[in-house]
Amino acid sequence: MAETKNKIGVLSCTGEDCLGGTISRLATRKLMEKVRPGETVTLCLPLFLAGGEEERTFAQVHPTIALEGCDKCCAKKATEKYSAPVCDVLIVSDIIGKDVAESKALSTRYLTEEHNDMVDKVVDELVKKIDKIDSDRK
Amino acid sequence: MSDEKIKVIPCSGIGKVFGLITREVALRVANELCPEDAETLCLSYVVTGDDEVKQKIEGHNCITIDGCATKCAAKNVAYAGGIIKDQYSATEAYKNHRGEYGGTATILTDAGWQMVDELSEKIADKIKNERGDKNNG
Amino acid sequence: MEMSKFYTVLPCNGLDKCAGCVARELAIKLATETNSEIICPVLYRVADSRYNEIAAKNPLLVIDGCATRCASKLAAEKGLKIAKKITVTEEAKRKNVKLGTSLRLNEDENLFVNALIKDLLTEEKKIRTEDTTTGFPETFEYELYHKDKFIFRVPKEGFYYTENDTWAYVIGNKARIGVTDFVQKSLSDILFFSPATIGAEVEQFDDLGNIESGKAVFEIISPVTGKVTAINETLLESPELININPYEKGWLAELVLTNFEEDKELLLDFDHYYPIMQRKVDEFDV
Repeated sequence: MAETKNKIGVLSCTGEDCLGGTISRLATRKLMEKVRPGETVTLCLPLFLAGGEEERTFAQVHPTIALEGCDKCCAKKATEKYSAPVCDVLIVSDIIGKDVAESKALSTRYLTEEHNDMVDKVVDELVKKIDKIDSDRK
Repeated sequence: MSDEKIKVIPCSGIGKVFGLITREVALRVANELCPEDAETLCLSYVVTGDDEVKQKIEGHNCITIDGCATKCAAKNVAYAGGIIKDQYSATEAYKNHRGEYGGTATILTDAGWQMVDELSEKIADKIKNERGDKNNG
Repeated sequence: MEMSKFYTVLPCNGLDKCAGCVARELAIKLATETNSEIICPVLYRVADSRYNEIAAKNPLLVIDGCATRCASKLAAEKGLKIAKKITVTEEAKRKNVKLGTSLRLNEDENLFVNALIKDLLTEEKKIRTEDTTTGFPETFEYELYHKDKFIFRVPKEGFYYTENDTWAYVIGNKARIGVTDFVQKSLSDILFFSPATIGAEVEQFDDLGNIESGKAVFEIISPVTGKVTAINETLLESPELININPYEKGWLAELVLTNFEEDKELLLDFDHYYPIMQRKVDEFDV
């Protein structure tokens, strides 16, 4: 097997009917592409639900964080149902506020600086979770 | 088609540009082109939710938009008991723009947005035609 | 076992060592058990008209006793295309058989001949295996390599690979070719398939069409020399089958081979390809 043992999975909510889902998705992508490239693996929730063997196997073997748009916690439920308990959960509505997170879903066409700030706040919290998992492993 | 809104369900796959295209198409159709006739639905919530939640989709008309051949939206809607009236594919939209670069799973290029707009309008036309036929019939 | 003629056999018939006698015995047994036809190498050298026709009728099996390769050299002199080659000393080494010094075969050497026949008959059975098209198996067993969440499949048996990540699966004088899991995952969703032309004659490492995704165009490098007899037409409408499984429903083309024994020398088996693929996967940001 390739050097995967230190990687951490992030399973993001994709909530199509609220802003929290968009922020969650963007935060996961930013984490993977810019903030912690090579350290995290994004897992695709729709594929996870549809039977994706690669996603489900990864979450069984590696620590996985569920990143939720709101407190319905769909990503966490899916992981626990089809794979294994998650290592940690981060809820976007806890960071940006419930009313904001549950407002109308946002197209990336209309992203503003305010939205980007929300993404950064979520990324900062994600990084803390990742660092904690890493230090607990040592 | 009854007066209830048709559910437009994208796959929203996070790994590829096609997933982002499906998501943007669904949002454009439901929020801008056909807000009276269509709505999006959080599929993950329906699939993982309790029976009360599942009723949001079970037996209801749905349009699915998938990013690739894995067809996660169609599979999950079928699993949840939705009636799939039409299926669309972001890769088919991409084929109409051969050689162009649509963007990444994070951000679309102008070509990517063009694909979104074309597919959105195609779906919106279909919804409006069917709604119009129903009203006239 | 009742079988149609499936080989024309050219043995070395060497009488200076046991390996030559094994070659002779193997040819005789093949002729009797499988209805194959033998070319006498001595007569062929001086009067080829009798055998040229037979040589062209069926796939040619050349049996050399040893590394001197007299039968192969004769075939080359006569301009024959070799479908399969057996070198007795190499096979003996592979099967851990110690050949004696006598020109009369002992019990072990006769058992060795039977084992070689069995290998050839097993391969014949593969040719006759029923499947909807041309006798190629529909499923395979894979070795799996994991990188992050991705799983890369590599079939273990029967495949020959190139360093360009294309493969050939050979049955008799036919080959099916395709790309590996590494290619389809690197490309992501394949949107277009531009196949080779049926009837085209290709040399090893020539282009055999291409496949295209939103990311890149991949030129398909032929692992073998031959003539294209079929393309996977399903892929024209459904190129995503290559992504789903590039070894089974995602095969690309079929060829009749014209020089496989030589081609093979530049191809990799599983044991040699797998570590190359592992390195590529480790270096690639999937």
